[in-house]
Amino acid sequence: MSKWLVVIAVLFIVACHSIGEWTDEKVTVRTPAGFPPIVYPKDNEPTKLRVQLGRILFYDTRLSTDHSTNCGTCHILSVAFTDGKETSSGMAGFPGMRNAPTLANIAYMPRLMMEGGVPTLETQALAPLHDTLEMGFNMMHAVHELNKDELLKSMARAAYGRDTIDPYVVTRALAAFQRTFLSGDSHYDRYRQGQLNLMTEQEVRGMNLFFSEKTKCSNCHSGIFFTDFDYHNIGLETESVDHGKERASHLAADIGKFKTPTLRNIALTAPYMHDGRFSSLEEVIAFYNNGGVPHDNKDERIQPLQLSTEEQKDLIAFLGELTDWNFVQNQQLLPLVK
Amino acid sequence: MRLRSFSLLLIAFVMVSLSACRDKDADDAIVEPVPTKAIVRFTPQWQGTPFAMQGVYYDNFGNRLRIDKFMHYVSSLRLIKEDNSEVILKDFYLLDFFNNNVIELEVPAGKYKKLKFDVGIPEAYNKDQDPAQYPSSSPLSVAGSQGMFWTWNTGYIFIKFEGKADTTGIEGEELLSPFAIHIGDDPLFRRYTSPIFDTDIVAGETKTFNVILHVDQLLATGGTSDIDLATDAITHTSNNLVLATTFVDNYINAVTVEQ
Repeated sequence: MSKWLVVIAVLFIVACHSIGEWTDEKVTVRTPAGFPPIVYPKDNEPTKLRVQLGRILFYDTRLSTDHSTNCGTCHILSVAFTDGKETSSGMAGFPGMRNAPTLANIAYMPRLMMEGGVPTLETQALAPLHDTLEMGFNMMHAVHELNKDELLKSMARAAYGRDTIDPYVVTRALAAFQRTFLSGDSHYDRYRQGQLNLMTEQEVRGMNLFFSEKTKCSNCHSGIFFTDFDYHNIGLETESVDHGKERASHLAADIGKFKTPTLRNIALTAPYMHDGRFSSLEEVIAFYNNGGVPHDNKDERIQPLQLSTEEQKDLIAFLGELTDWNFVQNQQLLPLVK
Repeated sequence: MRLRSFSLLLIAFVMVSLSACRDKDADDAIVEPVPTKAIVRFTPQWQGTPFAMQGVYYDNFGNRLRIDKFMHYVSSLRLIKEDNSEVILKDFYLLDFFNNNVIELEVPAGKYKKLKFDVGIPEAYNKDQDPAQYPSSSPLSVAGSQGMFWTWNTGYIFIKFEGKADTTGIEGEELLSPFAIHIGDDPLFRRYTSPIFDTDIVAGETKTFNVILHVDQLLATGGTSDIDLATDAITHTSNNLVLATTFVDNYINAVTVEQ
């Protein structure tokens, strides 16, 4: 009798696996030293399956109209989830409007997009999907395509308790995966933790300049994430072509203001600024050294810096130490190998 | 003799059964009264005549135009009773003048004096909301909203008014100039209140309210709020707040209610 029970149990397990049943479990995402805990939405605490489902979807071209584009097209891990282009190209090569921002430490970003219009990573997932210049699609078409995939459906069922892949599942899974993009293991971080030999004298000089009143870099690129999460007009142009935060706020005082980008991995994320106008860090530092051009909304702290050529080199050397090589080579953030 | 008695009994049984069935039907009719209903039909008109999808019309500036899409959110569609109590017909409704424009619901019988609705989504449901949280049957969901929410920003698109126009004034020219009026954001939320009427919705009857939108008056008010599509045709609200505000204000003044 007991022998038959074992046989039945084995058959049941095999049957369950063959129709793609999964068991899910909560995971603890380890944050880098010195980082605050991540605040997760109540309905999207990280689990093994949620993160893996998000990982599949992040690199899934079925999310674009012509199956040519996925999130990873414009957010490439080796360059800290940017794409090296002035402005990103979407499906069919359509030129995008802005430079692709890094997704490193996106879990901590209080609002998304350069004008800060989008409140959560979950809702942000709808933006590129619906943008005719990016993935040119509609979420409902995308979920229709994804629901043809029984494996994905079974994962969605186990991860979120939904019978089908719907917008809720797609937006949550993508957010769950992106919240694992944590970068806080640069030479600078280790230097702060006591490994003083990891930074050269030049890099330390650059660090001191960065945090000095002379440059005021750290007034905006502040804190552990090197951003104040605020919006500033730094005097890039006298007439703003892209109005930045004003697009969301409708306030004239916000014209030309963009969210302060993090500087983590900055040496890998050229070109720079919202429109990718500067191809190198040398150009960026030269711009700040000149103090920008007049604009009604220009932040008054942007003034000529009078930095010597050597000081500019020191600053750039320090910025290079914000690269987290473990992050950009993290296999867990690459597409799943089939 | 026995057989005859049996036949008579059988006939009597069938007759009693049939009459019992008839009684039951009559009883059912009593316990299921005819519902009392209100129908609200949103109808577009152009200068007093029915407005047709793909129809070509002349505005007051001489522009020839064709409207290809006209959708907007209606919230808190309600009838106001004589005692000022409100009967909500729909919390949220995505009105498509060409495909989805009739609302039919049961209402309490009684005297009604006004019809009200809001154009747009109220603040508490608009900003920083996630359309993916709603079931697809909701007009606020990703599927139900049919693209009526901003994705690069936050909030719903209250009104979409799109089409093509010929602004050259030359007869026979193709309609090549696109116009797209997309209105959103909390300050552009508007409320329509009908003039007072005296309507008695009798129990068991259906009352129809025709909400007529005079489309021509969205563009031509005969005053400073005229919109000339030759010079001002595109707004996504933030990039042309003046046009967005003018349009939504014109809307509220372009509605009448008939019964």
